[in-house]
Amino acid sequence: MTLSAAWKQLSWFYYQYLLVTALYMLEPWERTVFNSLLISVAGMAVYTGYVFMPQHIMAILHYFEVLQ
Amino acid sequence: MARRADVSSKGSQDLHGSGSSRNRLCGSCQENGKSNGVAHSWSKRESFEQAPMYVAVLTYLGFGIVTLFGYFRDFLRAVGLEKCHLAQERDEQKDFVPLYQDFENFYTRNLYMRVRDNWNRPICSLPGPEFDLMERVSDDYNWTFRLTGRTIHNVINMGSYNYLGFAENNEKFLQPVANATKEYGIGVCSTRQEMGNLDIHQELEELVASFLGAESAMTFGMGFATNSMNIPALVSRGCLILSDELNHTSLILGARLSGATIRVFKHNNMQSLEKLLKEAIMGGQPRTHRPWRKILIVVEGIYSMEGSIVRLPEIVALKKKYKAYLYLDEAHSIGAVGATGRGVTQLFGLDPSDVDVLMGTFTKSFGAAGGYIAGKKELVDYLRAHSHSAAYATAMSPPVARQIIRAMKCIMGLDGLTVGIQRVRQLAENTRYFRRRLQELGFIIYGSQDSPVVPLLLYMPGKVGAFSRAMLERKIGVVVVGFPATPITEARARFCVSSAHTRDMLDKVLCSLDELGDYLGLKFSRRKCTQFELDS
Repeated sequence: MTLSAAWKQLSWFYYQYLLVTALYMLEPWERTVFNSLLISVAGMAVYTGYVFMPQHIMAILHYFEVLQ
Repeated sequence: MARRADVSSKGSQDLHGSGSSRNRLCGSCQENGKSNGVAHSWSKRESFEQAPMYVAVLTYLGFGIVTLFGYFRDFLRAVGLEKCHLAQERDEQKDFVPLYQDFENFYTRNLYMRVRDNWNRPICSLPGPEFDLMERVSDDYNWTFRLTGRTIHNVINMGSYNYLGFAENNEKFLQPVANATKEYGIGVCSTRQEMGNLDIHQELEELVASFLGAESAMTFGMGFATNSMNIPALVSRGCLILSDELNHTSLILGARLSGATIRVFKHNNMQSLEKLLKEAIMGGQPRTHRPWRKILIVVEGIYSMEGSIVRLPEIVALKKKYKAYLYLDEAHSIGAVGATGRGVTQLFGLDPSDVDVLMGTFTKSFGAAGGYIAGKKELVDYLRAHSHSAAYATAMSPPVARQIIRAMKCIMGLDGLTVGIQRVRQLAENTRYFRRRLQELGFIIYGSQDSPVVPLLLYMPGKVGAFSRAMLERKIGVVVVGFPATPITEARARFCVSSAHTRDMLDKVLCSLDELGDYLGLKFSRRKCTQFELDS
């Protein structure tokens, strides 16, 4: 599995993403706007998960009395 | 062609009008459970497969994103950060009722403009099976175009209505047309009722009547005007028009102009039609409850956006039972279906005199322009006197009439050659082959197995533009259709198979479709291979 084959596959996935979300019809700067919005929202979700997941899991385990 | 005994049940035997099974191509045993109230084996030959649910969801997602960006761009234009290329009200008129804020204008500005380069492509040759395009590029995202000066040669034409290949410039075949031009000139300079009734029109009308098996026929210069100008002459206030959901704009316009009451029944659905007929007969006109003066059922032979064929035997049975009249618009089906190209009446083995008004156009299968209406002699004589088109529209141009005459004689075999019937058979073979291969490849195709119009469903708005551009890169010209002409979730590419396409051309198109289907992700069909028989 060479790097170029992996790159080709990734760029096909990106093309599918553009077609399905109709970003294919938009101009490049609009694509940048949409992609940055999407990545920032996804990034914020991941960060929130990273910060709060341990507390939530401890609270759940406390509730079910698995941990005291 | 293979013919089998009709093994459909007695129920469907009752529905067949004149009971002639000479020209009918029968399928195998019929299935149960068709929800359209139809017991005919023809219903098996149609398919309108639904795509998986995720396709509809993603289509709405795509439209949603583009609409949001549309609002954003409109905001930028309103604020002044971006130049507006389209029409806008003047500053003094900004307080008046807004002109450009309705949905249609929004859609044009923000969705259509982005993919506009896929339509109105300039053609610079004959629209035969292959044609030449002028190369056209845009520097500002489709607001303006410029021609580069280069021509793209030999693009395979899958979009022109050239079913029997009469869009040709063969000198030998076109000699009669050249002679007619030398004899009559081009312009008629008058209407039919004044000075425009030439002997060539007489000859054409007699030929059309004998071609269709009707008593008499009348021809008009424009196909759209045939519908929109003649329906008002046939019905008026106090009459009822029962029109199919997916009828063409010309029929709808004619119906509205006439002033009759219009009721719409579901596409090709006989239960819906019968329910409307029963209600009409029992209830009468809206407030007075007087009986309707006339009930006219308006249907088309082949519906060009769906590729579906009308259920003519059932409609004829219904019309006889409820004493209504039938108007059949055979724009796409005349010349293209039927064993010898006589249209849907021949396809179903019915007597043409069962249909009260036979209408059709010469644009699609005859390579000319214009339309005709045929039927009983009293009907056609009435139209000669009362039609708006006869009284106000210019008569058909003589070279065009001569082209129709030579095309019709070719199909009927009256010129002594077998070219016509070979073309009809070649079209049927091409249609079956193309449809069967597309279904095998895994695409969703709509319509009946005999219809040369093949809609291939694309669904998502992004794929519509990508498909058309990618096909042009592979030197194949296709027509894609989107929202206003089709339902919003069912964008499609519409192929028109022609008898002039060779097997090689169809194979090249199918090969490109196979590649593009994988690359773009268009193979939504969940059906196993082929259910339909192939004769050849």
